[in-house]
Amino acid sequence: MNWIGLQTLVKREIVRSFSIINQVVWPPVITTLLYIFVFGVGLGSQIKTIDGVSYATFLIPGLIMLQVIDQTYSESSSSLFQGRFMNSIQELLIAPLSAVEMVAGYIVSGLLRALFIALLITILGFVFVHTLPQNWGLYLLVVFLVAVLFSALGIIFGLLAEKFDHIATLTTFVITPLVFVGGTFTSNAFLPPLLRRIAEFNPMFHMIDAFRYSYAGHGDAPLGLSLAIVGTLAAAALAVALRMTASGYKLRV
Amino acid sequence: MSDAAIRIDRLVKRYVDARSRSEFVAVDGISFSVEPGEFFGLLGPNGAGKTTTINAIVGLAKITSGSISLFGHDVERDWRAARTTVGLAPQEYNFDRYLNIRDVLIYQAGYYGLRGPAVRRRADDLLERFDLSSKARQPFTRLSGGMKRRLTLARALMHEPRLLILDEPTAGVDVELRIELWTFLKELKAAGTTIVLTTHYLEEAEELCDRIGIIEAGKVVALERTSTLIGNRSLQDVFLELTRR
Repeated sequence: MNWIGLQTLVKREIVRSFSIINQVVWPPVITTLLYIFVFGVGLGSQIKTIDGVSYATFLIPGLIMLQVIDQTYSESSSSLFQGRFMNSIQELLIAPLSAVEMVAGYIVSGLLRALFIALLITILGFVFVHTLPQNWGLYLLVVFLVAVLFSALGIIFGLLAEKFDHIATLTTFVITPLVFVGGTFTSNAFLPPLLRRIAEFNPMFHMIDAFRYSYAGHGDAPLGLSLAIVGTLAAAALAVALRMTASGYKLRV
Repeated sequence: MSDAAIRIDRLVKRYVDARSRSEFVAVDGISFSVEPGEFFGLLGPNGAGKTTTINAIVGLAKITSGSISLFGHDVERDWRAARTTVGLAPQEYNFDRYLNIRDVLIYQAGYYGLRGPAVRRRADDLLERFDLSSKARQPFTRLSGGMKRRLTLARALMHEPRLLILDEPTAGVDVELRIELWTFLKELKAAGTTIVLTTHYLEEAEELCDRIGIIEAGKVVALERTSTLIGNRSLQDVFLELTRR
């Protein structure tokens, strides 16, 4: 195992993230503050409680998941695609780095970025709506699983893409719609029975619901089921990302 | 008998177009060896298969059939050991745009499993050697063409490879820098580094190479000591005669 090579790749990804701070740090902070003020403080003041917690407390976990998903997918997909586009990925491909080490580098980088963003929004939640997670272990577990899943999806789409536009396709047509209808802003309990049943097939619902457990101590779906679904999807995406990288798909001609 | 620096045995590289299902054979069963310490020129017209062969050696191209070993390490079965022996200076400038040029060198060493004060010293020495110290904290985008070419060479040397592969290292540089690079490459060879050079400047191959292989349409059409290959003619005459299609 080339541990120094792996650490170097992670360090390089962190340097890259902080050199594009206007894409990495400020958008999630500003977007989250806007959601807190418009939905949490403004509209939310008209809603007494949801599932026994204030609307603002209900909202924060959804906002954290929204940004964690977006940031981890962006991290690996854009870095990998840019490396292919500029040919700088050849530095990694000719080095004694295995596919496992390369994929681990992107996943760990995504995980660190996810933790940074999650903690930043958690602090905003504490400062503006005075809410903190009750179960930090569960908080970290869900961030870990979601970051692995979307970093791996980022690798897959970073390899599949032929132009930057292709990377945005998944975000625009799949991730954003599913996150918005996946319980970020409202509880599934508000939906009619048929729609509630359909919503349970949305994987984003299970990510947000499992994460909300760490704040509220309860959710709409059984916690074990949600964790199993997210864990299975993360393992499957990781396996596909590893397979594609090991085969040299669009990396080695 | 010591292992050859490069041993290529019946290498075939075939590209398949997935849409049209048409095939293109870029390298068609070539075999040759390069001995340790040798300065070897790999020449050929555009599209002859030089860069594909180099890509197969360094792991950027998948081998269709045949084998390549570097100092006895098979590039597919024993890829990690093989890759530590070789440094590539590609024709394109493919530097990491998020790093300054000193970090380009330090991170390159990191990918090869090296770090610490010795790596930083080596980066500083190479920057000094290639007259890039004053640009150490700048991104590569601020360098001139000649500086980028020197940085390409410095990066390839960061992990002190036993084999250095140069893909058109003097393309687009002025005469002064070209001669400076020739002097440096002769010093490297004298220190024991094996060097493989591709170039379109035939006088460069004539000046530097102990032995020359000429590829045409994916096949080796000449493989001789430079002096034997040329005889009493010029390399340009020999090259044109062998590669005329």
